[in-house]
Amino acid sequence: MSLLVRNPDIVWRTEQRREQEVIEALERGEEVAERGTVILMFSGMMHQLNLVGGKIWALCDGSRDESAIVDLIAAEFEASREELAGDVNEFIADLLQRGWLRHDG
Amino acid sequence: MTDNFTDLFSAPLTINWTLSFRCNFVCSHCYSRDEVCEELSTADHCRIVDVLAEKKVPFVNFGGGEPLIRSDLYEIARYATKKGLNVSMNSNGWLLDAEAAKSLMESGFRSVGISIDSAEAALHDDFRDQPGSFERAVAALDHLQAAGVKTTMSSVISRINYRHFRELLELARTHGVKQVYLHNFKCSGRGFRNRQELDLSPEEWKAFYLEALKVKNETEDIAISFDDPVIASLPGYEENPLVKGSSCGKLSLHLRPNGDLTPCGFIPLVVGNILTDDFDTLWYDSPILQKMRHKEAKGKCNGCGAFEQCLGGCTARAFATTGDFCEPDPHCWK
Repeated sequence: MSLLVRNPDIVWRTEQRREQEVIEALERGEEVAERGTVILMFSGMMHQLNLVGGKIWALCDGSRDESAIVDLIAAEFEASREELAGDVNEFIADLLQRGWLRHDG
Repeated sequence: MTDNFTDLFSAPLTINWTLSFRCNFVCSHCYSRDEVCEELSTADHCRIVDVLAEKKVPFVNFGGGEPLIRSDLYEIARYATKKGLNVSMNSNGWLLDAEAAKSLMESGFRSVGISIDSAEAALHDDFRDQPGSFERAVAALDHLQAAGVKTTMSSVISRINYRHFRELLELARTHGVKQVYLHNFKCSGRGFRNRQELDLSPEEWKAFYLEALKVKNETEDIAISFDDPVIASLPGYEENPLVKGSSCGKLSLHLRPNGDLTPCGFIPLVVGNILTDDFDTLWYDSPILQKMRHKEAKGKCNGCGAFEQCLGGCTARAFATTGDFCEPDPHCWK
């Protein structure tokens, strides 16, 4: 099992009021992919993650592998595992390549 | 992701925290030297840390006054670090010996900035009205480095140093400093009283920034920061700040020694008190912060093509000289 852990040099925060707004927009059927809910600060730059990206990021606390994260995201967004697995894999691969995440264990 | 960052934030990213206005120096440009304010107990400071941690404010920077005047600085910093905050501070360096540097390291300081106004010892000492202060400031940089604390250097640009900022960078280089802040002059407190003697003319500011930006672009080993919104109106200026205009009240707030919050240290308007008021209400609904976040062009800003980028420049300077947030920054050269 390869656990996923965030780069400890990255300072990050879930913007809670914004997250709530985005969840409500999602429930209304609006497009929210371009709306940030989590901010990341690293090397003097700021980045945003959208709702699903932010949830994945928050789950990468060193206690879960990719498969467990897919299960939790699928349950939270009431989507099938098969539907999500590819996107989650692609997102995590990107963050690993950027050095924002690493495998632990 | 193309969201507007300003609309996103649920709390400031940085709290600039003045634990005390007391200082062992009497600098000519100081915004706070003549301020008097009740100071809170260590326990109350820890309560403030609790609020900041709950609101997930990531960065706290202790300033002053001189932060090391408070003997409980280390305890507060240690508590803040334990709560997940990233702690830094600015100091004049006088009290920062090897032992203090070690204590700063142990209490979790991520970085410490030392104020140095001139690479010429006599000029720095004269400006700070403290013989020997240059030597101790430079020694503080070395003590911090030996203790493993990241150092930065802060210099307020004024008539005494604006032609000699390269020497300041060289001094930083010699002492292993990787980041230098060339702060713009603020006409607050003693800085307001002494502005005729110390402040540059708008044309001089423009010439300084053109030159300093050139040096910044040519310099790889030291990060040079300006943090002056008026710079956005320079032709060819291409940096993309997180917010346009002043960052005060949008990215940061200032805490006074009694827990009162102001938009920044240079704007003496109290938004509320962090220990007695609801933080979210202050952050989202304060009429002062709302006005700062939604400035309207007045005076020569009206119709100026640069307004969209600079939003009238430094709100604190406009307020200090006119009493109105929306008047043009007096440093503006346009």
